[in-house]
Amino acid sequence: MENDAQGVDGNILVTTHLKKYYPIRRGFNPFGGGGRRFVKAVDDVSIAVPRGKTVAILGESGCGKTTLARAVTLLSPPTEGEIIFDGQNITNGRVNYKKIYREMQMVFQDPDSSLDPRLKVRQSVAEPCKGLLGRKEANINSMVISSLTAVGLTAEHADRIPSHLSGGQKQRVAIARAIAPQPKLVILDEPTSALDASVQAQILNLLIDLQKNFKLTYIIITHNISVAEYLSDLLVVMYAGNVVEYGPSAAIIAKPRHPYTITLISSAPIPNPWKRNLLNTEIKGEVPSAINPPSGCKFHPRCPYAEKICSEQVPELREITPGQFVSCHFAEKTG
Amino acid sequence: MEKTITNEKAEGDSSSEGLLSIKDLTIVYESKNQRLVALDHTTIEIEKNSLIAVVGESGCGKSTLALAIIGLLAIPPAKIDSGEIDYKSVNLVGLKEKERRQYRGTEIAMIFQEPLTSLNPVYKVGDQIAEAIVVREQRKGGQPVDSDIEVMQKTYRVNAPDFPSRLPRIRRGALAKLLREETLDALKRVRIADPEQVIDRYPFELSGGMRQRVMIAMALAQKPALLIADEPTTALDVTTQAQVLKLMKLLMNEVNTSILLITHDLAVASQVADRIVVMYAGDVVEDAGVYDMFTEPMHPYSKGLLSCIPSGSKEKTRLKPIPGSVPNLAIEQVGCKYASRCPNVMNICSTKRPRLIEAKPKHKVACFLYGE
Repeated sequence: MENDAQGVDGNILVTTHLKKYYPIRRGFNPFGGGGRRFVKAVDDVSIAVPRGKTVAILGESGCGKTTLARAVTLLSPPTEGEIIFDGQNITNGRVNYKKIYREMQMVFQDPDSSLDPRLKVRQSVAEPCKGLLGRKEANINSMVISSLTAVGLTAEHADRIPSHLSGGQKQRVAIARAIAPQPKLVILDEPTSALDASVQAQILNLLIDLQKNFKLTYIIITHNISVAEYLSDLLVVMYAGNVVEYGPSAAIIAKPRHPYTITLISSAPIPNPWKRNLLNTEIKGEVPSAINPPSGCKFHPRCPYAEKICSEQVPELREITPGQFVSCHFAEKTG
Repeated sequence: MEKTITNEKAEGDSSSEGLLSIKDLTIVYESKNQRLVALDHTTIEIEKNSLIAVVGESGCGKSTLALAIIGLLAIPPAKIDSGEIDYKSVNLVGLKEKERRQYRGTEIAMIFQEPLTSLNPVYKVGDQIAEAIVVREQRKGGQPVDSDIEVMQKTYRVNAPDFPSRLPRIRRGALAKLLREETLDALKRVRIADPEQVIDRYPFELSGGMRQRVMIAMALAQKPALLIADEPTTALDVTTQAQVLKLMKLLMNEVNTSILLITHDLAVASQVADRIVVMYAGDVVEDAGVYDMFTEPMHPYSKGLLSCIPSGSKEKTRLKPIPGSVPNLAIEQVGCKYASRCPNVMNICSTKRPRLIEAKPKHKVACFLYGE
């Protein structure tokens, strides 16, 4: 399994033209209706996740970021496109799920619903080890304890049930469960959005420490720009199922090029009463419907730079500055 | 209003600007086997025409505070142990429910976190806003009028038989026109594009941001003097959040109302508030103007909260989280509730509770580091 010939390749995960469409069931239509319609939740997403780095997927609700995570983990297999994970194509042919999930784990948004309320912490964390690795009892026990210790819990917590833990502790358990089978890639779906500010800071620090200690690669799904900026090396900004901007986080935050990224960053509240950016931004409209998205560039009805071409032609993702890709016809003008 | 128990304290320095003052309010939740102190001798002043943000983590008592002010606490299990809520020199705590109702909506209005659960799913939004307008007219002039029919007769001079008493059917005849106009104005005020369409929609047909605007329109249709907003943008996306907050700030000046914004997000508070009140485990720990709070936070908890906000990237700075977690409110605490997590803890902290004192002009803090 540890074929280092392929392992040295820079990217642990590559998606090409990944699509996830959900069909809509329609009612009786006497005129035929013109074929099936789809919700294009993820529409043609190509991203690369470098080994040992953190990629943040940033976007508002309904932009397809969670669907992307679920497609990448094969929890809801993609409609079209390829996923290369650790040098292997996991989207065609027979898939060895056990092998994939040994190396790719996910932490879900709300620990209250992702942890079994009746299982003790010990049992929850042991579950993936048993199922994926098939180790002996004694061995599993030590794995559970070591992964609980890694997330800052003690053996004393192992015999509690989730309802006897605080929100932050529950999220730690969820993280412990994900890292227990020693994966290479961990996908975190809004890991801190259910937590209070002081606990969020604890979890963010924990994630950074775990990444260093276990050489993990992270994909972090978030709507929180300051969390994305803080944790990530690379940033993927999504809008209505498309990637609109992609590149090094620092570069994008410092100089966003896509009009949507500009809007998003300027509407994030910053803790500074002297810089009331929130009250000075002009934003019009709302996120479009995923069933009937606008033609051309999906952002054009809300875009201050929109011209005729924007409603006619879908902009390609182009490299504007080294490493920074933007899908906008006027990416050069916006900066 | 004359009948109500007034607790007038002619204090020399209480300027005319005051609108609502909460004094020494203690609220506990009691059950058979435990007693939770949700608000512990809380004192907050709300001035006219200002936006005050109450910031704190979950369980700090900020929602209990909001419910107590508007009088929607479930009593029991909640119990008001001590204190006053003085609104225009009337103590709301002593009022009977019937008298209390005269204040709710028309004097003090509230919007909630999740607009979909606070709007009625089976009525069109226009009718729900119209209801608020009807109630306002009903209460105008001080004398409560009982039925919708009388209101309509008085305000819009319509004969009773013409007017269907059920609100969803109001949109008929002459009255309908007037009420509809006013409802449209309410929608226009919250900058809803094509209000003629929206007025006839059901809540589920609107987006989250639109729903919250409808809630704001409904609350402001009654022209309240105080609007309580309990986490109004927590369920919304950042771009929508920015729109809604901006709108609230604009309307505050247009409608001449004060806003009590309850939020867990210091960044949001810093963007819109005039004053910030930081709460911790049922206590107000700091109360200061927004600029003072950010130039010189005094309470160790406020400092801790500020250093928890991620900014920049992980390479540059490591976050300094507050160690430990919030104390169990069911266990009686003798000293300062923050003592177990505080980096500056002293001997006195575990034996005595610090009082909220004015450490600097207009900057109150409850901490022994600053005297007493």
